[in-house]
Amino acid sequence: MRAALALLLMAAAAHAASPSDERARSFARLPNWSGQWEIVGVTPDAQGGFVQPLDEVVQGMRKWGPPPYKPDVQAVFDKAAAEVHKRSVAAADGTDAPSPGLRPACSFGVPLLMLFSPLMFEILTTPEETAMIFSGREIRHIYTDGRPHTPKDDLWPTSWGDSIGHWEGQTLVIDTIDVSSPPGIGGGGGGPVIVAGGGDNDAVELIATLSSEVHFIERIRMLENGHLEDRMTIIDPQNFTAPWHISRQYTRVTRINRMVHEDCEGEERNPVVDGRFTVAPPPKAQ
Amino acid sequence: MTRVVIFGVGAGLAMLLNAAYAHHSFAIFDAKQSVTLHGVVKEFRWTNPHVFIQLMADGEAGAAAAEWSIELTSPEHLARAGWKPGTLKSGDKVTLVIHPIRDGSKGGQFVSRVAPDGTQIDVPSGAE
Repeated sequence: MRAALALLLMAAAAHAASPSDERARSFARLPNWSGQWEIVGVTPDAQGGFVQPLDEVVQGMRKWGPPPYKPDVQAVFDKAAAEVHKRSVAAADGTDAPSPGLRPACSFGVPLLMLFSPLMFEILTTPEETAMIFSGREIRHIYTDGRPHTPKDDLWPTSWGDSIGHWEGQTLVIDTIDVSSPPGIGGGGGGPVIVAGGGDNDAVELIATLSSEVHFIERIRMLENGHLEDRMTIIDPQNFTAPWHISRQYTRVTRINRMVHEDCEGEERNPVVDGRFTVAPPPKAQ
Repeated sequence: MTRVVIFGVGAGLAMLLNAAYAHHSFAIFDAKQSVTLHGVVKEFRWTNPHVFIQLMADGEAGAAAAEWSIELTSPEHLARAGWKPGTLKSGDKVTLVIHPIRDGSKGGQFVSRVAPDGTQIDVPSGAE
């Protein structure tokens, strides 16, 4: 009898310590961030613009304080920001073609996905990885299995960079390096940029330009009001004199409860004619 | 899709390198002009990257109806604003306010629907 009881206890102990049970406990410790999320203060409208006027979006981002640029970088940034303002206003007025290249830009990349993107997203958490899936079909993969960043000899710049992370209680801490600007934004391939847009026209404002050496540290957690908050520290030794601390909040999408994806390559109704976008008639039924 | 024109600010600082998150710029439409169209929905094309209303708009002074292509944002953005593929159906009589294409062709950017009592529906706050 006593031997049988001992065997039972040993079996129970072995079962409790099984890898599957430990993983189940790891899952249980993760926060529930299910559903669809959107940036607070960046809301798309039915017309193709934003509910918020440009000034409102810009002012919201100016609350972060100015990027701590080195003096020479500040001068370059000021010139770029003025040029972006001038050309975007002209494009919105129709007095300047919006682009000689006219190449669709269909991705935001990091950090714009988190700071200024009208795309809703989902967050899937597992013990080993958190995936952030955006409606533009961009995905951030954040590995939380304890690995270091990908070795330099196996790493190349991408719009989303190389992200690793870990959990501090219910806060996800993300470390991202090797980020380049996506094609169509900032010319593509250089360091990422931060822009703001809004309202009912094409005007945008340049908020920050970052170098290819930029390093992002994010702390994402749920607030008491049900919003998610991303407190982002931007470390850019090439451009900045100090880390730049900014933040965004996200709220749950309320009028739809599933992911709906965008597709830049869908039904093409806006061909370029004589250097300008146009509107084409619908394709004839087959 | 929401339109955002992004200008190149990299090595070619002052160069206008590229445009438009969201497929294309909406500067082809004249945001300073609003036109009201009355007509019948021929087709509500719930497609990426942009949704279109094909509208048979009444002609002026008894002229024959003509087909207009009215462009909206993406299905994703419209769905989040409460629209569905069946929000408009073929045969629906509607009144639409649009920003017309600058070149004068029969097309435009959707601004709002006008209810029978004259109220504009779907107007973005602060935009009109």
